[in-house]
Amino acid sequence: MEFLGYERPNGSVGVRNHVAVISSGRCANEMTVTIADMVKGAVPVLHTHPCVRLKDDNDRALRVLAGIGSNPNVAATIVVGIGCENPSPAKIGEEIVKSKKSVEVLSIMGSNGFQDVLDRGLATARSMVSAASQMQRKPFALSYLTLGVKCGGSSAVSGIAGNSVTGRVFDRLITEGGTAIFSETTEVIGADHLLVKRAINEEVARQFRKAVERMEARIKATGEDIRGTQPTRGNIAEGLTTIEEKSLGALAKTGTSPLQGVLEYAERPLGKGLFFMDGSAMTSELISGEAAAGVHIHIYNVGGGISSSFRCPPGWIGEIPILPQISVVSKQSKPRDSQEKEFFDIYADTVIEGKESVEQVADRLFEEIIAVASGKLTKREMHSGYREPIVMYTTGPIL
Amino acid sequence: MKRAMMINPKDNTATALEDIEVGDTVSLTSKSGQVVSEITARQAVPFGHKLASANISKGDKVLKYGEVFGLATQSINKGDYVHVHNVESALPPPPKEVK
Repeated sequence: MEFLGYERPNGSVGVRNHVAVISSGRCANEMTVTIADMVKGAVPVLHTHPCVRLKDDNDRALRVLAGIGSNPNVAATIVVGIGCENPSPAKIGEEIVKSKKSVEVLSIMGSNGFQDVLDRGLATARSMVSAASQMQRKPFALSYLTLGVKCGGSSAVSGIAGNSVTGRVFDRLITEGGTAIFSETTEVIGADHLLVKRAINEEVARQFRKAVERMEARIKATGEDIRGTQPTRGNIAEGLTTIEEKSLGALAKTGTSPLQGVLEYAERPLGKGLFFMDGSAMTSELISGEAAAGVHIHIYNVGGGISSSFRCPPGWIGEIPILPQISVVSKQSKPRDSQEKEFFDIYADTVIEGKESVEQVADRLFEEIIAVASGKLTKREMHSGYREPIVMYTTGPIL
Repeated sequence: MKRAMMINPKDNTATALEDIEVGDTVSLTSKSGQVVSEITARQAVPFGHKLASANISKGDKVLKYGEVFGLATQSINKGDYVHVHNVESALPPPPKEVK
């Protein structure tokens, strides 16, 4: 099977063809958005990473911003900075250059000021968008694709509907030679022994255990033990009995493929297959990390309840820069003929109603992934242009 | 006829796909949508909660997704409601010294 994508100079293939205008620090957000808003086809990547962070968090910010610029869904990148940020605009640019795509770094320090940088930014963005607009989609094997996943607003049936459907789709893409990334370290606690068993070798198993232990230690350092807090009272009311059951439901979305490797947050996988990425369960942090790791399409599994009444599933409201999101719902809170049908790409509640099997819904999702990879816009992409800064996973204090 | 899903053939629980009342006949379906068997509910089971699809002895492993998610704290009959009153986590309890 094939999809229609954009070939990149480093041999990767994109499913979108954005020109990304990336702010290197929050002080450059205004300049970044001004450039992007004045050029059709340019997408601003804004964030609030401050100067007052420690090395681990600065390194992660570099990986996220450089990773987004290097993502195959991006045709060309402009990095906009003041010049004094950490990570510096120059360093972000140097990292993106490794992906062999066109990069321009604009810094207010050493320029003739805001207007000078704005003029150069606009000229560069227009020239990049013009070049991107002349690129053609070509057929490529599905092995070029990387999927990411998040489940949110989980209900008692997330595990048996949306997550099982996604797991099956992950297995199928991996059989085709593709790659899938899942994260949410806190959500695997309680089912971590199962992933250890799926690790391809002892080293991967060790790295996985280390990531889980590190997360547990961070939580314990605050005085709480996550194993004592799960499942929550709300989970129990929904029918989840133990932490294992909750984690098994979350794990259903990973399918049954062997675990090929463990990634740090926002780290790109070097091989194909199923990868685990360290990170929190916060939707916006996870999506930024996935985009930086080279994910092409993000699958968002919404369980039900209030989450299924949102136009944008909670956690990241508004536009997601560079990543199309396919939204899957397991149980709607209102009848399907209501406005909710405008919110979701795939309805998996037919599994609960007994109208379709998990396999049948997985077939529909797989077809949708190929269509979206070939250019079909998702419901989320057609929403308003409301945007918020991206959010990055941090572990250290703000100084 | 009410419906419940037995996600994996190894499971000894099934998830209610609708609210189940005492005495209801419940058809257990597989992930592929096939009816595996029929049981009688001995207790009410709310939507999304679980009922036993087999007899489970005290101390036995309780399974969903083909995996153990806890141990039975009392004997559970086929058709019984399965939840925190008769199943507990099989994981070691969190260390007490954490403050």
